[in-house]
Amino acid sequence: MAKVYTGRDGAMQVSGSTVAKVVRFSVESNLETLETTTLGDNLRSYTPGVVGYSGSCTLLYYKENSGSRNTSSLLSALVKTGTTGVSDSDTVQLTFRWIDGTDNNDIKLNAYVTGASIGADTGDIVRAEVSFVGTGQLLTVSI
Amino acid sequence: MAFPNLVPTSRSFDAGDFPIKTFKAQNGTEVRILYGSNRTNMKMVLTYSNITDANAALFLNHYNSETSGTFNTFDIASNTRSGWTALDSYLGATGSGNKWRYENAPQQVQVRPGISTVTVNLIGVL
Repeated sequence: MAKVYTGRDGAMQVSGSTVAKVVRFSVESNLETLETTTLGDNLRSYTPGVVGYSGSCTLLYYKENSGSRNTSSLLSALVKTGTTGVSDSDTVQLTFRWIDGTDNNDIKLNAYVTGASIGADTGDIVRAEVSFVGTGQLLTVSI
Repeated sequence: MAFPNLVPTSRSFDAGDFPIKTFKAQNGTEVRILYGSNRTNMKMVLTYSNITDANAALFLNHYNSETSGTFNTFDIASNTRSGWTALDSYLGATGSGNKWRYENAPQQVQVRPGISTVTVNLIGVL
């Protein structure tokens, strides 16, 4: 059946677990183009370079009945104690999903969390803004 | 193997000079002696951006096998002057009886797998 997807159909997972209270997410792919225009040419030409993925998401800061918080898995990849900083093991497996009944349309990738911000505003719900950069190949693409 | 017949991405040319010796007296008078009738020491910098590694290897092979590095002289290929619409002799060395040689080794930069950028510095010599 024909379908237009809306925000109600969107879901985001970290390591296979759906993240609660996601307000928005976006995934961007980009291709670096290498110019091959030479002297005497009148039109620019290119050869494909490296492909990359990045994106961002916004979550409401939310504590489950169990006491766990929905932002922990993402924020802990960047906001952490210790002196070692971020290492290879701090990648997160992200799945961005558009759902149509039992039909899932996914983009799955490993990513480093490159930015995270959280604050508190008077009269507003606390939100966490997270940005990420994909590393390596996409694990699943079914869009 | 001749100099690779590829079209450069950018090219700069320095027209060189005639062999001149300049003497200056203490009162500021300048005397110049012309030692030859041929202009020499032209310089040409060629950049080949984002070419295949196979094409990049043509320069390295030419530098190594054909010219023995900076030792032997050669003529540049016709495509080297591509984009220049005036007479070739203005943008060259052979019109003044010169030949080209490598001023230093070709510089190869790997851009991505299979793609390189090569910079070649040439100098005109009699």
